Amino acid sequence: MNAIASRFRASPYHEQGVEQDQNAQDSVLWGSQGGFGNLRAGAPPEFVVPNVPSPTAFLQLHTDDHADPNCRIKIAHGTTTLAFRFRGGIIVAVDSRATAGSYIASGTVKKVIEINKFLLGTMAGGAADCQYWETYLGIQCRLHELRNRERISVAAASKYLSNLVYSYKGMGLSMGTMICGWDKTGPALFYVDSDGTRLKGDVFSVGSGSTFAYGVLDQGYHWELSDEDAQELGRRSIYAAGHRDAFSGNTINLYHVRETGWEFIGNYDVTKMHYDGPGNIPGAPVGGYGYDARVSTV
Amino acid sequence: MSAQERRFNPYTENGGTILAIAGQDFTVIAGDTRQSEGYNIQTRYAPKVFRLTDKAVLAVNGFAADGNMFVQKVQQRLEWYQHAHNKEMPLRAIARLIQTMLYAKRFFPYYVYNILGGIEDDGSGAVYSFDPVGSYEREACRAAGAAQSLVQPFLDNQIYFKNQLPPSGGAHPKHLPLKEVLSLVIDSFTGATERHIEVGDGLEIYIVTASKRPNADLEAIANLKQVPGGFIGGEDGEKIYVVRRELKKD
Amino acid sequence: MEVSFAITGKGYVILAADQNAARSIIKMKADEDKIKALGSHLLMAYSGEPGDTVQFAEYVERNLRLQQMRNNHPLRPQAAASWVRRSIADSLRSRSPYAVNILLGGYDMANKQAKLYWMDYLGTQVDVPFAAHGYGSYFALSLLDREVQKRLVISFPSFKVKVVDEGGVREVELDMTV
Repeated sequence: MNAIASRFRASPYHEQGVEQDQNAQDSVLWGSQGGFGNLRAGAPPEFVVPNVPSPTAFLQLHTDDHADPNCRIKIAHGTTTLAFRFRGGIIVAVDSRATAGSYIASGTVKKVIEINKFLLGTMAGGAADCQYWETYLGIQCRLHELRNRERISVAAASKYLSNLVYSYKGMGLSMGTMICGWDKTGPALFYVDSDGTRLKGDVFSVGSGSTFAYGVLDQGYHWELSDEDAQELGRRSIYAAGHRDAFSGNTINLYHVRETGWEFIGNYDVTKMHYDGPGNIPGAPVGGYGYDARVSTV
Repeated sequence: MSAQERRFNPYTENGGTILAIAGQDFTVIAGDTRQSEGYNIQTRYAPKVFRLTDKAVLAVNGFAADGNMFVQKVQQRLEWYQHAHNKEMPLRAIARLIQTMLYAKRFFPYYVYNILGGIEDDGSGAVYSFDPVGSYEREACRAAGAAQSLVQPFLDNQIYFKNQLPPSGGAHPKHLPLKEVLSLVIDSFTGATERHIEVGDGLEIYIVTASKRPNADLEAIANLKQVPGGFIGGEDGEKIYVVRRELKKD
Repeated sequence: MEVSFAITGKGYVILAADQNAARSIIKMKADEDKIKALGSHLLMAYSGEPGDTVQFAEYVERNLRLQQMRNNHPLRPQAAASWVRRSIADSLRSRSPYAVNILLGGYDMANKQAKLYWMDYLGTQVDVPFAAHGYGSYFALSLLDREVQKRLVISFPSFKVKVVDEGGVREVELDMTV
């Protein structure tokens, strides 16, 4: 019966009774492959879905704190992330704050996901959605490498992710991510989100503080930026968002993608940036981003 | 949405608070034992902290039924792993396992906040904290549950030394000794019990110690008991201890 | 806030679409191409639900290409329009429909005629001499002349403009200053 039903199943998820044990039929769980054991079948993992007429409405009822602030399961939101392409590669900068309602759930979130040595993904929206699917993307990229004896292009990797999340459209996934990397075509940057949009571009910013970041980014952006100036622009833009957007802040994580792969540049405290600035770094101004500008009498 | 569907609510909130702090060669994972629903106390002793392996302890908080179910499932998977590989799963792998298990129910989540504490392969103390659908991060300390917003700022101040100036000519210590960590845990819970109605009754503190750690400082701890385990590491291996204490019951 | 236009003339169809990709109040991209060449003499401008648009356009693109490879002959504009309309209609009756609006313009090499089809996400199809989707239609359908540029309050900085005629598909520069 199940076999017949599954033949007519077009979607990657399927309804399952609450009383059914999702582990029972899965013998691969015995091994060390964790939840990714069914990779062998080449299909994405299966998900348990509540036995109600509309699983989507059910999920929203319990998790959508935008519609109902008293809903029980809070999924962390609020972010500023940015990435831009320039002569020297790609700069990726993000904040590190996670909020659940007005509570700061964490100030040390890693919103840059290191997919592999050459690919970075950013995290905005559902933290688990981004973390899980970008890890999953990393596995698929590695398999591509093993099968084809060459690294996957950024275009292909981002399209894989976009097709994947598109297959769950309307189910409540929430992610706005930038896939950044360097491939045969040079530095490449794609915006992918959970409603299936995938855009190739030079400058992107995602999240509640993105408008503030765009403000600084757009006025300072130039293709011919030096590495140091580009890093400073990324840092300064996230600082601006951390300063003006209550849902963003704490610290800045800065990455630089070059032909040789990505490099972690540093972690910067937003408050420290305000008063003292990043310190003696090429491209950075003397003094704080915000404090000196307001108190100096010159 | 039909009226029928609106009524289908498989979740409740059972109060309580959990907390974990990582030291250099140990980790402390603690939780209170009160379980309540609304203003009713269902029981004064419902454990929220569980031994997983000789070097991993899991604390669960939120919806107790989901929490207990989830712990059982994790324990089952870890047992299978041991049968298949004849070793205990490393802590970082348990963390990833918990992520995939939580995310498998992305569209029908476990209403559980998990904190995993234990000893990493390199012998360091580690704490991993999770959201209900599996996003996770390694941290030095984390509080979750009803009194999270009371306890976490205290920990930020005392563990991360947030808003504290270092002593003149010195720096903040990188790791605190076990004795001080235990005092902080006890203070956190007595404080939370004072100010939060869903916290109290009893306190269970699990201590995981790294292999070959000189555990002389444990002798001074009252009511310390070793938790029986697999003892895969032998006499020198990682060990788990538990301290049970009383909290106010009103 | 997407806009697309199309006009047929003697022996050609010209299509134009805005180039913006916007998320709420943010314009994330200003050089997006929303007109796909589905063959040597067939163009499709698409707009609608984010995600659905590109997925559907690529689905159509690949299927029409397959038809051409199988039969060693491309579908004529009328046949292609019917196939696209049917795809939308079938999808509308499925669990997750594509919400995509389409302008399909082509040059029929068999009878040397330019054709234009207007389609919406409900599967409505009309054979028209000129057409528009989005807010632009409120102006274009009554005027469709130079007044469009003067009166349109939602003035886009640039349009992607493509023509299909006997010589096939090509892109043209539109002088917006006139």
